[in-house]
Amino acid sequence: MTIIHRDPHAPHCPPIDKKRELIHVDCASHTYPDGSVGIHDMCFYVLRDEIVALCGPNGSGKSTLLEHLNGLLTPSKGDVWVNGRSITHGERSDLWKDVGVVFQRSDDQLFAPTVLDDVMFGPLNLGMSHDDAQAAAMSALEGVGAADLVHKLPNYLSGGQKRLVSIAGVLAMKPKIMVLDEPTSDLDPLHSERVEALILRFKRDYGISVVIATHDLDFAARIADRVCLVKNGSVFAEGTPDEVFYNPVLIEEAGLTLPQTVRIYLEYCKAQGREPEQRPIRRDELIRALQLSQS
Amino acid sequence: MSSTMISSHIPDLDLITSYAQREGTFFSRVSPWTKFTGLLLVILLITLTRNLVICGVLYLIILGLYASAGLPVKKLFAWYTLPVLFVISLVGIMVWTEPGTPLFSLNMGLFALTLTDNGLILIITLLLKALISVTYSLFFLMTTRYQHFSAMIYRIFPSPLDQIFLLAYRYLFLTLSMTGAIFKAVRSRGGGIIHSVRVQGRIFAEVFALVFIRSFDRAERVHQAMIARGYNGKYEAGTDMPKPGLSGFCVIGAFVCAIALIVLMVPNTGGLY
Repeated sequence: MTIIHRDPHAPHCPPIDKKRELIHVDCASHTYPDGSVGIHDMCFYVLRDEIVALCGPNGSGKSTLLEHLNGLLTPSKGDVWVNGRSITHGERSDLWKDVGVVFQRSDDQLFAPTVLDDVMFGPLNLGMSHDDAQAAAMSALEGVGAADLVHKLPNYLSGGQKRLVSIAGVLAMKPKIMVLDEPTSDLDPLHSERVEALILRFKRDYGISVVIATHDLDFAARIADRVCLVKNGSVFAEGTPDEVFYNPVLIEEAGLTLPQTVRIYLEYCKAQGREPEQRPIRRDELIRALQLSQS
Repeated sequence: MSSTMISSHIPDLDLITSYAQREGTFFSRVSPWTKFTGLLLVILLITLTRNLVICGVLYLIILGLYASAGLPVKKLFAWYTLPVLFVISLVGIMVWTEPGTPLFSLNMGLFALTLTDNGLILIITLLLKALISVTYSLFFLMTTRYQHFSAMIYRIFPSPLDQIFLLAYRYLFLTLSMTGAIFKAVRSRGGGIIHSVRVQGRIFAEVFALVFIRSFDRAERVHQAMIARGYNGKYEAGTDMPKPGLSGFCVIGAFVCAIALIVLMVPNTGGLY
């Protein structure tokens, strides 16, 4: 695990694997017009074929960071590199082709009269013909299991259906990176599981790298290859889920609570008076670890 | 479906849209272009005619169409409140100056207000015209799927009018749902529109201001989400429009024939005028 204690005078973040790099947020800061600091000396990166979870409490700067990745915001200091291009000094008008954003509130994203119109919006902006855009929209809707909603009006969809359509709207553009802001917030368990399965499939079947902002560590634990903890506008620690989540001090410092699987395992070990030798993260891993400890 | 009904006398946009999305009725299958042509014909006719009989028969035909499409007639009568008030406020002054046989007179001290037979006919004709246009418009809106309606706007209106309409759609629904939610909150704590305006005028004004601020904020976020998907100022309606079929031409033909028959055959109509 990397615990980042950066030299405040260092102009750049530590070097990363350039061959696999898709996004590199290099020491970026953003201050809003009202003076509030969104992100501050932020170091963050995304590699090819990985799911990164940005975990932090409300107001820690996760959403501000996500909006930088798509060029909706530009850093007031530092730089953001997407697919080898600087968004501060270079052209960023077509950044949306590489980085698709699924917003936290689906109602903010769905604006068109029908689901089909909304999902076609991105492909049409990519310059596809009407027929190709329609085919891309249908394929994306089928991909998220929402093809039956194609002619529905967004305001008559349930929260879960709206989320699936929002994801389809971005998937239809076939981005290299997909950024999802709190993708399971306000969803029932069934829809949460569907969204979770979809995110895993994006990486496996479509080769899309995924960035998720969440304060739900159970969700992050199940899904992420790498976890970044965010506090006061900066990533202060990162590592694999087991490295990060089996560090209660770090989690407390981030203002979060341990994932349930981790808590159960740690409490079990404490009750048994033994050291936590395994580091189960997912439910199946926990069951295996408990079975092992009993045998 | 969440209801955004503010008052039973104000057309409920959610209800109108939910009727429009039904596919089961004959009129919902008629091409939107046919129904739109019908709307143009109706507007043309009520603009040209001043004949009470024609207006009366036309109103009954359109009310019949509305009812046969399975649309809620009781609600329609409640929704008539606004157009009726509008017509009365408009003709309330000029109706007293119409020449003709006096029916009754109101002595106001310095002057007298006299209602003549022509004045009465004028008010009834204008009321009928208003109700005809409202009923047919609602019939059109409630039997035409929203995506077809918006695609028509996209094809008919020039930019940026079409863009304003297409983008206003969700904004309108969201604002209405927000307003509906705030009204519910007001009612849940014993308030009501009239009561609140009288007793808590300032709070009410603040609530309305809040709706607009929130709507503006939401519109900003919608705009951001659009930019994130490459919005460049042009939004295209993607829905294919069904073309008018033979049944559509038959409906329009029957309508034109019916009006022609009324004009020619009903005694004392004296043509359109």
